[in-house]
Amino acid sequence: MQENKTLNQKIKELEDEVEWFYSDDFELGEATKKYKSAILLAKELQKELKDLQNEIEVLKEDFSK
Amino acid sequence: MVPKQMFSNEVDTMTPSEFISVVNQTLEYAYSSVTIVGEVASFKVNQGKWVFFDIKDEESSVSCFMSLYQLRIPIEDGMKVIVRGVPKITKWGKFSFTVQTVQPVGEGNLKKAYEILKKKLGEEGLFDATKKREIPRGLSKIGVISSTAAAGYADFIKIFNARWGGTKIQVAHTQVQGMDAADQIIRALKFFNEHGEVEAIAIVRGGGSADDLACFNDEQLVRAIAASKIPVITGIGHEVDESLADLAADVRASTPSNAAELLTFDREALTSEVNTMIRRAGDNLLFQIDKLWKEQYEKTMQVYNVVQIKISSYQKELLDKIKILEALNPDKILERGYAIVRGEIDVGNVVKITTVDNEISAEIKEVHARE
Repeated sequence: MQENKTLNQKIKELEDEVEWFYSDDFELGEATKKYKSAILLAKELQKELKDLQNEIEVLKEDFSK
Repeated sequence: MVPKQMFSNEVDTMTPSEFISVVNQTLEYAYSSVTIVGEVASFKVNQGKWVFFDIKDEESSVSCFMSLYQLRIPIEDGMKVIVRGVPKITKWGKFSFTVQTVQPVGEGNLKKAYEILKKKLGEEGLFDATKKREIPRGLSKIGVISSTAAAGYADFIKIFNARWGGTKIQVAHTQVQGMDAADQIIRALKFFNEHGEVEAIAIVRGGGSADDLACFNDEQLVRAIAASKIPVITGIGHEVDESLADLAADVRASTPSNAAELLTFDREALTSEVNTMIRRAGDNLLFQIDKLWKEQYEKTMQVYNVVQIKISSYQKELLDKIKILEALNPDKILERGYAIVRGEIDVGNVVKITTVDNEISAEIKEVHARE
């Protein structure tokens, strides 16, 4: 789990990982390991997206005065 | 203030000032806030500061007074308006209605006031497209100005929660229609700007009549939106409703739900995007494996073909040599009827003759040269 990273950072990281498969750096020997890592990250993202909740605070200030 | 009463011949008397003061106290007690609907007449602005006009019906007319600053929506003679204020006797003994708020009534009048103010504020540059700031989706903290009891607020929160999470939403509960709404929204805008914690402010309100939405054409509110240091998005009314608040905002959403959409990513779409990304990686991995396999296969086939060609070449060469050898085979020559003669050729000598079928010993009877 990558607790310290924001959702946006993780999505960017996944994008970069996927781009590697299309880049000149692609190397079949490394690809399986990279693919497993991308799958884990994707699963983490899917769970995080599902569980995300907003925090709603109604201010106590009285704006009628 | 209690008037100083003077007693003379057992009749209460008071000075004009005292009398006016008593009357004003009585009026204030009886009519602390009065709302009148009528038609504007004799509208004028004095010294660029004071506004005078009458509000009348078929039979009566009331003189109204207010400061120009309080005139938040343009009015003109003949316009039907709703005014709120307090009745008062001036120190000259004239009756006057001190106006606190004034607003046109009816779609036609509101439209007329809207066009006048739109032109004025437009010329001041309040609606310039170059001043608009982008509001990114998925912000971590936003401010919402709305009535928490309004359907538009409920729609906004519902769509926001359905689409996205992880955002802290601070809600400033204000009126979103009526004569006090604009001031309350301005205070809420000021609050968010002074505290500086939120990254964007959403002003939301569901659909309503032109009168209901009139507060969003309030000059001071429009100026407050344009001056906000924090970017503002509006989602007011329905798609067809356009307010000056919308024009001054950085982003105009067509409805409260649309405002929620513009402020959020869609978690369903993102989940789908994540799945697509992984599929892309998997597809490419399989493609690369397939490509490598094909490359290896092609190389193997190339080697195989080269070897096959060599083998064929050797085979052909061999066959040619076999043919030559066969052609040189003495037995083949004998089969064609020839014979091999071994021994010294001289008359009387015995020589050995080999034919295809026999070995013969023969004596030479005669020798002579060929012609």
